[in-house]
Amino acid sequence: MNKTSSSKGMSINARIDLLVSLLLIAAAIALPFMIDSRYVMGQIVLALFYATIASQWNLLFGFAGVFSLAQMAMFAFGGYATAMICFYFGWNVWAALLPGALSAVVFSLIVGLACLRLTGVYVALLTLAIAQTMYLLIVTDTECFTMVGSICRQFTGGAVGFARFGDLGTRALLKGQWLAGNYAIIATLFAVTMLVTYIIVKSPIGLAFRALKDNPGYAVARGVNRFQAQLLVFGISAFFTGLAGGFYAAHFQAIGPGILSMSQLMFIIAITVVGGVGTFWGPLVGTIVLVAADELMREAGEFRTLGLGLIIALSILLMPKGLVGRLGDLLSWLRHRNRAAASAITFQEKPATTGK
Amino acid sequence: MFDILTAILIAGLTTGALYALATVGLSLVWGSMGMLNMAHAAMLTLGGYSAFTLCTVLGLPVIVGFAGAIVIGAVAGGLLYVLIVRNLLKTDKATFEANVMIATVGIGIALENAILLTYGGQPLKQPISATGSFVLGPVSLPFQNMLIVLVVIALMAVIALLLGKTRMGRAIRATAQNREAAQLMGVAVNSVYFQVLVLSGAIAGICGVMVSSMTQLSPPLGNDPMLKAFIMCVVAGLGNLPGAVAAAFGLALLEAFVQYVAGARWGFPTLLFVVIAVLIWRPAGLFGRVQIRRM
Repeated sequence: MNKTSSSKGMSINARIDLLVSLLLIAAAIALPFMIDSRYVMGQIVLALFYATIASQWNLLFGFAGVFSLAQMAMFAFGGYATAMICFYFGWNVWAALLPGALSAVVFSLIVGLACLRLTGVYVALLTLAIAQTMYLLIVTDTECFTMVGSICRQFTGGAVGFARFGDLGTRALLKGQWLAGNYAIIATLFAVTMLVTYIIVKSPIGLAFRALKDNPGYAVARGVNRFQAQLLVFGISAFFTGLAGGFYAAHFQAIGPGILSMSQLMFIIAITVVGGVGTFWGPLVGTIVLVAADELMREAGEFRTLGLGLIIALSILLMPKGLVGRLGDLLSWLRHRNRAAASAITFQEKPATTGK
Repeated sequence: MFDILTAILIAGLTTGALYALATVGLSLVWGSMGMLNMAHAAMLTLGGYSAFTLCTVLGLPVIVGFAGAIVIGAVAGGLLYVLIVRNLLKTDKATFEANVMIATVGIGIALENAILLTYGGQPLKQPISATGSFVLGPVSLPFQNMLIVLVVIALMAVIALLLGKTRMGRAIRATAQNREAAQLMGVAVNSVYFQVLVLSGAIAGICGVMVSSMTQLSPPLGNDPMLKAFIMCVVAGLGNLPGAVAAAFGLALLEAFVQYVAGARWGFPTLLFVVIAVLIWRPAGLFGRVQIRRM
């Protein structure tokens, strides 16, 4: 890419991004007025959680190249921390959200200190092991910590988890319309997360993340500190993931070890892969496609997981850059074709556009 | 005190042998092609269930079931290459590592789920197992454990011979050391990759039969050995076979000891802490060489 085409491309891309986000905001506002079904609304809220987590995994893996499989562990940590603060100290949920997210950051930094000296698959294996350990330790926790009535409660909630520790307050405020209220809150969370992610990706530090992913040797030679930069992106990603975890716990008024299961992590990975790893809108597109596919496969019942596995494998094979990547290829091909038609000298341009 | 010690030793050596087998299958593939096979667990399970189908459902002799597990494992490995890996190898190295991992995760889930749908979730008994035990004074050695350790030792010897002495083994080692150089020397790298995946699938098949003979057949059977095999690979340095075997036995003994002293739930976390400590001390693993990469 030469300089003029990249700066011109940036402005076009930025305009597309702005247009897409305005359309999305309009759609998001219109949505609760168009849908009456509580079930559909509930699934949409759930999809927003998935999109938030996937966008943060995408920031970590797609933009910074850190192959972490502890994404759901960060989510669970934030959720558990929020739930436990409310449960043990009786705090309001809103007050516990920030401490919950911050504790996820602290956890992620500890994990990062242990893992990020490594690269590539070593990071993946170690983070997977840490997430599995967290799951095992919670599920096998049987020691009584406190007694609630005559029932023994474990410190981590054990296999049951926590419930009834408070909610977002929308039930008391909006009565029957509480779900729309929660939708508004979670949609705002998603929008803010996307906005911050956008700013990070476009900022100098975002460029450093991407440089480390694309060519670590060159990036380090140009003065980027790999360990610090990756630790930073690990922390940022954990903050929003943990915050989403807190909101998740508050929305469902419950949290259990089930969210740490392998299938949940796979769903997040599938979303990002299908949408497009390393593309800004990929996680959102992936969420829409996969949640819809998931709903359709609900008819097929037990074949759901099988189908999901095949979707992951096939989309990696057929479209390594995901749906958004394919769309981008199509757009640049069209643009290139138009330009080629306009100018007489065409034979030198071909490799430049296929490169990125 | 003595019988506790022998019990820990027997448990540690048996699980160590199983982990070593799982680890070798993974490490072979990683070492030669830089591919982390996340579907390895499902291939283990597949091996266990094929032996069950052949022996219990079809009533064939045990040896046929054992051979069948090996063959089906090998076929699964071959299919994995033909359908997935071959197509992903066209991308460059960094993308390949991540893509192949995600793709095999998908295949693993699909395979595990297909097994669940075919056989149901209830645990089944592995027909290939030995009962009774060998009593020597105060020590009693179950035949099952002896069988596992012997099979694993025999298999290790075969793999070592295969890699060390045969033409195919030389080609695999050459590819592992330097793919481009091997290719320039006339090694058909793609067929080496195919052979490695078939070999690793066959090992996974045997490993699945062995693991399920210790416990029971269930669809998530392979996940626990695979997770531990990952850890052992990481400790030893990915791709280092003798190191992986040593790490498998060492960590399995440690796990058996911790499980006895502190309870079963602390076994895995302790392994993890050991691994993290090792990695902070030596980021390329205990026996791993620090690679110098040219840009």
